[in-house]
Amino acid sequence: MKVHITGMGAMSSLGLGVGEFFEGLKAGRTGITARPEWKQYVGLHSHLGASVPAYDITQIPRSARRTMSRMSELAVVATLEAVRGADLLPGHGIGGGKSTPRIAICLGSTSGSPDTLETYFRKLIERGGPEGQMGTTFFKVMNHSVAANVAAALGFVGPVIAPSSACSTSAQAIIHGWELLQTGLYDIVIAGGADELHYTSAAVFDVVLAASRGFNDRPDEASRPFDSRRDGLVVSEGAGVVVLETEASARARGVRSHAELAGGAVICDANHMSQPNGEAMDTVMRLSLERARLQAEDIGYFNAHATATVQGDREEAQAVRRIFGDRVPVSSLKGHLGHSLAACGALEAIACVKMLEESVLIPTRNLQEIDPECAGIQHLQALEKRSFRHAISTNFAFGGMNTSLVVSGIN
Amino acid sequence: MTRGEIVAKVNALMHEGFEIPMEKLKPEATLFDELKLDSLDAVDMLVHLEEKLQIKVDAERLQAVRTMEDVYTLVADLAG
Repeated sequence: MKVHITGMGAMSSLGLGVGEFFEGLKAGRTGITARPEWKQYVGLHSHLGASVPAYDITQIPRSARRTMSRMSELAVVATLEAVRGADLLPGHGIGGGKSTPRIAICLGSTSGSPDTLETYFRKLIERGGPEGQMGTTFFKVMNHSVAANVAAALGFVGPVIAPSSACSTSAQAIIHGWELLQTGLYDIVIAGGADELHYTSAAVFDVVLAASRGFNDRPDEASRPFDSRRDGLVVSEGAGVVVLETEASARARGVRSHAELAGGAVICDANHMSQPNGEAMDTVMRLSLERARLQAEDIGYFNAHATATVQGDREEAQAVRRIFGDRVPVSSLKGHLGHSLAACGALEAIACVKMLEESVLIPTRNLQEIDPECAGIQHLQALEKRSFRHAISTNFAFGGMNTSLVVSGIN
Repeated sequence: MTRGEIVAKVNALMHEGFEIPMEKLKPEATLFDELKLDSLDAVDMLVHLEEKLQIKVDAERLQAVRTMEDVYTLVADLAG
């Protein structure tokens, strides 16, 4: 069953909405800035991050906002953009219209709000118990907070699914959305993910020596996927949401398709919690191609997960070389965006759709000297105007998570 | 605190915490029907009252509160 992307929403460190997001990518901008306030945290060496610019959430009633952390707010605004773009507002079950159980939500985050978790536990420990805790706090930290808040705010009555696999969360959500639509039980799946910037996110990677430490005074240069001088990732935040819709539903509603989600796959390497696994990368790429009924030769652009860690970029570059050789242009968007964790898979899928629509390829920012261990593939180091038909996008995460999805242009 | 001070502080707290327009914060206004609060808001109101007015509120007593006047009276009793 063909699945189309009929709506997209993006909240990123490059700006509000898909328009600002993609213009920022084309302009080669980055949202990464110095975080000198993080120097106060003992043992934290990475003092960089990228946050979403100020946004307006007052369009959502207070009764819905009161249970939202920042990540849920970002997700709600991105979902609003996506559903409006898909002509789902109003009257098709969202924003006051009559909803239907044939529309599913599949939105995740790495965890509940880290900012709220910190506040909650700080007070709990200070007071020796739950005295003084707000009634609304738990709804910001429960694992399905993002999905539940989007559903409540926008009036969805179908299934609310909240996948959580750290950095592959939204890619996983999109791929599971594709799988759900294959069953024929649903017409539409609203899929994606969100995360909020917090120093503990940087700390997670810093502790395992995977966060950038050497560029605290040069944030513009810090995130440099595949580059010889890369020294780790820079954390960021955001939300990416897509409306996935069966071809029959899109046709019946007369809505325009941005691209086809041709297929995707999610696997676990079941081997190691933090180390990337080349064999699993090969497997998931091949499986996504198989599900998309395409060959490696059909792919015109490869969007790499490449977060600028020494080991992860090397393993991914070598996996790309094994499957695609040096024929397919490859880039990572982490140099622009930093690593937006649960949002990155959806944001990168949206970027692929925009590249297909505008016949342009975004290069890897800060890739100045290709690491010899990442060589042998066609690295994009400058923006290129080029028409292509199919793009593949990978994401990987702690826990042995490996995802790959394929988007195809229309016509 | 004088009654005037209590009314001013409670109203400010209700305005900031629950985005209720100041003009709606009248003594006879009912919390649930007119001001559109619910049980979840009531718990948060208790926390706001305790933290901003330095009082200790019995949750059971809060359950009997129906109007803004009830809130003012409750605070006046507890603040001494």
